Amino acid sequence: MTGPQTHTVLSVSGLTKDYPGVRAVDDVSFAIEGGTVHCLVGENGAGKSTLVKMLTGALDPTSGSMSANGNEYTPNSPQDARKGGVATLFQELHVVDELTVLENLTLGMERSWFGFLVKSELEERAVKTLAAIEPSIDPSARVSRLSVAQKQIIEIARAASSGANIIIMDEPTAALSEREVERLFGVIRRLRENDVTVIYISHKLDEIFELGDNVTILRDGKHIATKPLADVDGRSELIEMMIGRTVFQSYSPRGTVGNKVVLKARGLTTSLLKDVSFDIKEGEIVGFYGLVGAGKTEIARALYGADSFEGAVDFKGKPVGRTPTAAIASGIALVPEERRTQGLFTNLTIRENIPVMNLPRVSRGGVFKAADVQDAAHQYVEQLSIATSSIEKHTEKLSGGNQQKVVFAKCLFSRAELLLLDEPTRGVDVGAKSEIYDIIKDLADQGNAVAVFSSELEEILGICDRVFLMFDGHLQEEIPNGPDVDISHILNVVTGGQESVAK
Amino acid sequence: MTSYSNQTSSAARFTSFLRNYYIYFVLVAVVVLLSTANLDQFALFERGNFLYKRNIINILRVSAPLLVMAGAFTLLMVSGYIDLSVGSAMSLSAVVYAMLAINGVPFIPAFALTVLVGVLLGAINGFLVVRLNITPVIATLITLSLFKGVALLLVQDGVSAIKSDNFLKIPGWFNDYGRAKVLFDLPAAFWVAVAVTLALIVVQNRGKLGKYAAATGGNPTAAKLSGINTGRTVFLLYVIVGASAALAGIARSSFMSLGDPLSGDGMELTAILVVLLGGTAFSGGEGKVLRSFVGALIIMMLTVGMLTIVPAYYQTLVIGSALLAAAASNHLVSRKGKES
Repeated sequence: MTGPQTHTVLSVSGLTKDYPGVRAVDDVSFAIEGGTVHCLVGENGAGKSTLVKMLTGALDPTSGSMSANGNEYTPNSPQDARKGGVATLFQELHVVDELTVLENLTLGMERSWFGFLVKSELEERAVKTLAAIEPSIDPSARVSRLSVAQKQIIEIARAASSGANIIIMDEPTAALSEREVERLFGVIRRLRENDVTVIYISHKLDEIFELGDNVTILRDGKHIATKPLADVDGRSELIEMMIGRTVFQSYSPRGTVGNKVVLKARGLTTSLLKDVSFDIKEGEIVGFYGLVGAGKTEIARALYGADSFEGAVDFKGKPVGRTPTAAIASGIALVPEERRTQGLFTNLTIRENIPVMNLPRVSRGGVFKAADVQDAAHQYVEQLSIATSSIEKHTEKLSGGNQQKVVFAKCLFSRAELLLLDEPTRGVDVGAKSEIYDIIKDLADQGNAVAVFSSELEEILGICDRVFLMFDGHLQEEIPNGPDVDISHILNVVTGGQESVAK
Repeated sequence: MTSYSNQTSSAARFTSFLRNYYIYFVLVAVVVLLSTANLDQFALFERGNFLYKRNIINILRVSAPLLVMAGAFTLLMVSGYIDLSVGSAMSLSAVVYAMLAINGVPFIPAFALTVLVGVLLGAINGFLVVRLNITPVIATLITLSLFKGVALLLVQDGVSAIKSDNFLKIPGWFNDYGRAKVLFDLPAAFWVAVAVTLALIVVQNRGKLGKYAAATGGNPTAAKLSGINTGRTVFLLYVIVGASAALAGIARSSFMSLGDPLSGDGMELTAILVVLLGGTAFSGGEGKVLRSFVGALIIMMLTVGMLTIVPAYYQTLVIGSALLAAAASNHLVSRKGKES
């Protein structure tokens, strides 16, 4: 906190956002002081992204009001938000590589005379702002020459020189190296000195303690607390406020876990993963839990041969080929994270989707046997109770849960014995969720191995026999699931806390 | 590759040097090649040397249509869009211009009306792409057919082009634009091409349109989030390309003394070739008007030079091969640029 006088620059009151069936943000009110770094924390699904989307104008609140810089604030677009003094640093970069730094700083705000660009005070201001927050970047350099971190700083400078005095940063360190993070923090501190307010969203609690002045905690869409970080008693208090309750734990030990190791992964290393090794046993459901960007999807894709990696993967004693085709042939199937773009052919019907991973099974001499395809489709629609009027329905017309079941059917049809499930219930309603959990358990009971990659702790603790905790590309720890599992320890590990810190 | 300072490795600097200046080396190489090659036994060149004044003038006169289009086409491709209908727009303009002239419309109104037709054709493309959201390749493939169809329709049955006959005569001034010596023994058509190119160089380096074209081609999302109306930018670029295609049509028909509905056939490929040869990225964002102008000169010299050496029917094959080479090297250069 920079001075004795504090003033509110942004406040929300009674802010609520309803989605069909869900209240994502529930009557949230808090105020942000000018010239501070204000952190926003909460578990996945706590309502942070929805709140940020309302602040940036991407979503309209159902009820409640916001005010920025003393005025009522009802943005409809990022440009609107900027006019109200609020700029956002999105997770993906929005700079034009082909232009120079200065051209990027003034993009969309140029002064012109009969279509020709003229010098303006904006240019000077932009150069001055950039020099103030990061003097080492040459304004005449081409942006394509800069690193990701430097491009990010260009965006920050653009936001600051466009007149915004509040900058929202959503997980800005996700793609940065350690040294770059330090530099970004330097930039944020210099912004604060210049009376710019930063709303900082991150899962990494260490960053929050290092950088933040105040913190707002959200849980289940509700506002839990807003207080100075100096008054927060360490990670454990913060984590407690984030969870606040005992996580609903419906896990019951399963008797079908075999002793035979079916999958052996050793030293998986990619640009993100660092020397990850683990085993999966026959009939077992293992969970990989970690924050977004911790490396869960990367493990799934490596095992499936979709990305190249260093290290070794053996399935049933034989090395797995490093293409999806080879993985399928050896009995591994992936239910990918993005159902609509990676899991389904949405413009094809259910019948056409189900056999695609193993067409030889329904063909003879390269020709489909239409009857077999139909039988298979009927069989899986019934077995997985896919709610549809016909197997000829286009998959894009199905609900999220039923789409996901079709993806499962696809994998089952390929006769997979190891299923990799990346965020298997994302965008699926509660009813379908429990159906999918039942399907997963059935599959494991039949002796298949299942790996669940999820950022929902409840899901992991609900169905998995063993849990691997991921942070920043490392497999930090392996814990058995059970009634006495220590949730705050899990959250501590996946937010970057050292194992030894845990009680 | 997350090095902090703006230091560039010597390899990266070399790549960028190569990208910026290689076209001039190619130009010099082609001139040297053509001047040293023993071409004097062929009728098309004046005896003795390629660098003979009349040869150069002849090549520059023939080049006017391509030169006048290269700049606008570059800006359009920088914005990440493409116009396959330029050849048909050029043919249609040539026919319209000849029809106006043969029916007694004087030079200036005929010229202005034809350019207006070009603007209209460009606006049609812009409308299809920006408003109806049709993929640029499909949209302009459609107009390629449409414009050519109209051009063919305008020419009477049984006649191959608009030209003098028993009833109507192409007026005497018709040739002047493409052939009469105005300055340094070169015709107005060539100087218009130079003027258009200079104007577009200024637009690219100093104009809002030039910057917005680069932003639209480089990162459309960023451009939109910065409040740039990318649709209007693209529309405007299509209109400019249409107008330049009309200027090309006028130059061609004036040079040939007739309005040939097929005179622009294949021009879209040559235009793409020229722009790629000039180092413009097919994916947009990157490219310079002047380099395309030089690329056009190179292609015209080679085409005319080739006429003396190889039969005409090899030309398309050679252009195709050159296009392949340009696209491949373009790809390599831009890949390397990204990785550094």
